[in-house]
Amino acid sequence: MKDPRSFKSWLIVLIVIHTVVACAGFFAPYDPIEQDRKNPYVPPMRLHLVDAQGYFHMRPIVYPLKLREGSFDEYEEDRAQPEPLKFFVSGARYRLLGFLPSRLHLFGVEGSRIYLLGSDAYGRDQFSRLLFGGQVSLLAGLLGAGMTLIIGLCIGAIAGYYGGWRDDVLMRVAELFLALPWLYLLFALRAFLPLAVNPLQAFFLIVVVIGAVAWARPARLIRAVVLSAKERDFVRAARGFGATDLYLLRRHILPEAMSVLLTQAAMLIPQYVLAEMTLSFLGLGVPEPVPSWGNLLSSLQQYSVLVSYWWMYLPALAMVPFFLGYLGLASALQERREAYKIERRSLGSLM
Amino acid sequence: MNCRRAKSVCCRLGFALFLPLFAFLAQSAAARPQQQTAKEELLALPGEVGHPGGRLVVALRGEPKTLNPLIAADTRSREVIGVMQADLIHIDRATQLTEPALAKSWKISSDGLTYTLVLRQGIKFSDGQPLDAEDVLFTFRVYLDENVHAPQRDLLIIGGKPILVRKQDAETVVFQLAKTYAVGERLFDGLAVLPKHLLEKPYQEGKLGQIGTLTTAANLWAGLGPFRMKEYVAGQRLVLERNPYYWKTDAKGNRLPYLDELVFLFVPNADAQVLKFQSGETDVISQLGAENFSVLSRQPHGYSMTDSGPGLEYNFLFFNLNDAGEKTPPEMQRKQKWFRELQFRQAVSAAVDREAIVRLVYQGRGVPLWGPVTPADRRWINSSIGHPARSVARARALLKEAGFSWTGGASGDSALIDADGKPVEFSILTSSSNADRGKMATLIQDDLKQLGMHVQVVPLEFRSLLERVTQSKEYDACVLGLVGFDTDANADLDMFLSTGGTHFWNPSQAHPATAWEAEIDRLMEQQLAEPSYEHRKKIYDRVQEILAENQPMIFLASPDILVGAKNVIGNFHPAVLEPYILWNVEQLYRKSAPESAAR
Amino acid sequence: MRYLLRRLGHAFVLLIGVSLLTFLFATLAPGNYFDEMRLNPQIAPEAVAALRAQYELDRPLPARYVAWLNSTIHGEMGFSFAYNSPVAPILISRARNTLMLTITATLLAWGIALPLGVWSAERLGRLPDRLLSWGTALLLVIPDLALVLGLLVFAVKTGWFPPGGMVSIDFENFTLMQRVRDLALHIVLPVVALVLSVLPLLVRHVRAAVADVLGAPFLLAAQGHGIRGRTLLYRYALPAAANPLISLFGFSVGTLLSGSLLVEVVMSWPGLGPLLLESILSRDVYVVIGGVLLSTLFLVGGNLLADFLLYWADPRIRRESSAR
Repeated sequence: MKDPRSFKSWLIVLIVIHTVVACAGFFAPYDPIEQDRKNPYVPPMRLHLVDAQGYFHMRPIVYPLKLREGSFDEYEEDRAQPEPLKFFVSGARYRLLGFLPSRLHLFGVEGSRIYLLGSDAYGRDQFSRLLFGGQVSLLAGLLGAGMTLIIGLCIGAIAGYYGGWRDDVLMRVAELFLALPWLYLLFALRAFLPLAVNPLQAFFLIVVVIGAVAWARPARLIRAVVLSAKERDFVRAARGFGATDLYLLRRHILPEAMSVLLTQAAMLIPQYVLAEMTLSFLGLGVPEPVPSWGNLLSSLQQYSVLVSYWWMYLPALAMVPFFLGYLGLASALQERREAYKIERRSLGSLM
Repeated sequence: MNCRRAKSVCCRLGFALFLPLFAFLAQSAAARPQQQTAKEELLALPGEVGHPGGRLVVALRGEPKTLNPLIAADTRSREVIGVMQADLIHIDRATQLTEPALAKSWKISSDGLTYTLVLRQGIKFSDGQPLDAEDVLFTFRVYLDENVHAPQRDLLIIGGKPILVRKQDAETVVFQLAKTYAVGERLFDGLAVLPKHLLEKPYQEGKLGQIGTLTTAANLWAGLGPFRMKEYVAGQRLVLERNPYYWKTDAKGNRLPYLDELVFLFVPNADAQVLKFQSGETDVISQLGAENFSVLSRQPHGYSMTDSGPGLEYNFLFFNLNDAGEKTPPEMQRKQKWFRELQFRQAVSAAVDREAIVRLVYQGRGVPLWGPVTPADRRWINSSIGHPARSVARARALLKEAGFSWTGGASGDSALIDADGKPVEFSILTSSSNADRGKMATLIQDDLKQLGMHVQVVPLEFRSLLERVTQSKEYDACVLGLVGFDTDANADLDMFLSTGGTHFWNPSQAHPATAWEAEIDRLMEQQLAEPSYEHRKKIYDRVQEILAENQPMIFLASPDILVGAKNVIGNFHPAVLEPYILWNVEQLYRKSAPESAAR
Repeated sequence: MRYLLRRLGHAFVLLIGVSLLTFLFATLAPGNYFDEMRLNPQIAPEAVAALRAQYELDRPLPARYVAWLNSTIHGEMGFSFAYNSPVAPILISRARNTLMLTITATLLAWGIALPLGVWSAERLGRLPDRLLSWGTALLLVIPDLALVLGLLVFAVKTGWFPPGGMVSIDFENFTLMQRVRDLALHIVLPVVALVLSVLPLLVRHVRAAVADVLGAPFLLAAQGHGIRGRTLLYRYALPAAANPLISLFGFSVGTLLSGSLLVEVVMSWPGLGPLLLESILSRDVYVVIGGVLLSTLFLVGGNLLADFLLYWADPRIRRESSAR
């Protein structure tokens, strides 16, 4: 039996990841939109402790890269100018958490640019883009999941609590939504809607589109929970004492659904992040120059990039801890609920 | 006259008798009909002599819709039709000048209104049927018939009236124009001569649109091109075989084409094409992007890559200058006030980093542009137009003169505001399927940020984009590109003329909206009728100057033509005009022992 | 029986509803297929208008829906502007390619997941089980996108497998054995990608379902009777754990057509996915509608199959539904 407190450790992991991403401005050395046209497709820079002359440095040093003669994208280290890595440097302006203006960055170099994960076609730092991209993708996942769960909660609660024709109608509609091939419809919806001029509008559109289509499964789960909770003795007792429907729902029944909600949230969030990534990868998501995790990978669709610039693949691996965290959390939550039954058609898969 | 007719009847009888034997011989790989009958007037091509046999595999970016020139509207169909059909007068892609094709000679009357073309004698279609003036008459009748809606019809309306075609005798056809047309003979390039014996009946029954599909049996379709239909496998490939009646020979008198088979593979995207070329499945590759070109050039196994220099494609940024008068929404009106300001457009042009576009989008394999005519068009480019270097300072000065100013800077970047204090923000549309133009838009976005302009890049599916730009006119700015299909001043009329459909910033105008657009209209009309090249060049130079002065389009860059071919392909001379590698397909040959076409 | 008939009728109504919904979506989108032709200076606007009229794009919505229904009943499912042919044959040939891929992958995935899940449930909590858990967790955690792209890079770098596509150019000329080999080489990587993305969840669910059952008293009783080992697992435990697995199976069948979009697009497998994506982006509306409907058919069919199987396999459900 796993330690019931293990879900807390996963939670901590997730909180750390989310904090780093939320404070992307501080952890990232550069503005993600800032181009450096002299340095397209720079490979990741290596940190050295021993410099070319053989001296050992306390601070890691980095050699700026310059283009090899006559080539377009082959770089070599310029050993003549070692740059020490500095911490808590002042750099590009940003707003911490969206409102605190600041110029402080965790690390950086003076004189040239440091590319931990390399640069893209315009010379933008991939590491910074990874962190800022996380903001977009994670927020889309969180908001989308929130929306789905709220809708699912309302519908499931109504269907389960009141029963009768409301239940029938709502469940039929839920079946309709469950029967549709979601990925296709997602694309069609996104492609057929007016492509907003504004990245912000595009972002919210995606959130709404992803969030509004998949409420059916959580709704059924909630309904099941509400159905069973409705018949419990303490609920009946409360009703006998004259509690209104709303009160019953709020105080007695919904807390039962909480754990289902949490588990669902832990499963849905990564799926929604994946959905946003797929949309952005295929060009239907957040537009340039705003980074998102899907955007970062979309250049890999070109064969030339796939073959020549291997570091463009790294963001895919860097997202693994995030998914791992949610998976761990979801498993831990599931195991915590001993009585959790795998509902007939809820398989936690968006498709 | 009677003698000739009797002769042609005899010829036809003779051919009809020998046709089955001839066809049988043509099929077997061993026997190749090298000798010409005495009556055929073939065209001998100069150049390297190759040897016969072998197969060429080419990738096509999708399936052609039809083999029928009368309904072919997409580029893929046209590529295939190009090797299956032939025209009367052809533009040699290497010299860019006209040369005789099916017409062995022609005369233009002194007033420039009458073209008399003399056909080669004794030529046969790919099914063995002879060609004569009747076929030409029929062809043009069908092209000009309004009920057929042929895409070629528009080309044949000169001065508002369709060309009149009449037959003078069995080998001579006369074309009558209503107005002098400066490049009349270039008109004929690409206009396939159709077989009357196959198409007359469907034409009379109104069923022309239904024949010549890919699934039409090979013996029910014919053309005068170097290859004819052999086999079609849906979703995979189209196999063409050598036309044994082709009317061209090499310098030694051997009948062309050398190749036994030409195979078009349907490969839907550019990257898959690169893979197939690398693995040796295809023999040639064209329309490469710079990045794929680099990948292929890195480790060539048995093939060579060629950078043929700039082509005729020009990419540009333009603003919405449409005038919908009262119906324009106030948002649009406000923005158009900026766009209409000449100094605004000049400032944008001064701020755009063309050198970065060439370097980052084309990896240096391209040229920056300041006008629609690229350096590939040596005869027509106006070399005296200035190529001002990029200068953000100059751009700022221009904006200041135009009444714009900058805010102090809320978050560190100062924003550009107009005379009314509103911030300058707009969006640039770009096609989601064209990665290069998307990159250009992103680079421009960053350039304009340095001027304080806040620009969104909106990738849109190509058809939606077109709908917005040409129909609903709901857009701010857009990055598009056009490819000239000919190196002649008349090739891009639709873009220059205010009535044109590709005059993007304000298409299909009823009357020219500005004085300079009216001037361009007038000048282009003038050069259309002007016979002398020097005069036309002066007029065309002036048109390019007017465009440079008024900057309705901010020209960006032109990519080089990048191609590659296996080393065993002989006579590979890529051109900068379409079709880049198949223009001389009849002369391509395989240097090593030819692979047997039949298995 | 009535229960099943009711489900059938249900499914049919669902399909009609879906067709209406998609039709509405697709036809309300701005832009249409012929806009590209306007860009071509050699094609007159009248020609474009004539083509538009020919394809009846100008008739009102309900009329077009009825026309489309009519065409579907006759087996055509509307007309594709891009391919210049009725939609049904295009869909069928592409769907066939997709099914080739997904059926292989599904069979393989189930074939691995069942024994693996059962084996793991047997050794619940011990080291092999924990290792398997970690393994599946790792697979689950790598995004599908990264997986497929990674396999593509692998193909390109090693050259052992063709990087995409379904058959080589000379496929028609191969002997039967060569054809089989060629197809097999092309299908390996996409199948691996699909199996890897589906396997972890399957294994987990099989394991959970069997683990649930393994503690049941009737199994103890059977053990007491002397039944053990493989017989015990496969003939006593597994059927009891079958319920959620049957639903899962129905779900697998349901996603046969729609689950492989990403893999097909990235690996250039000429299946339904790329066709639909391309048609959505180019506004070839009838192909989109036909494709969505076909996928829905499978989804609904898969659910129905699960229902039928449950009805047949589980006597409790039979009793339940006949009691209604």
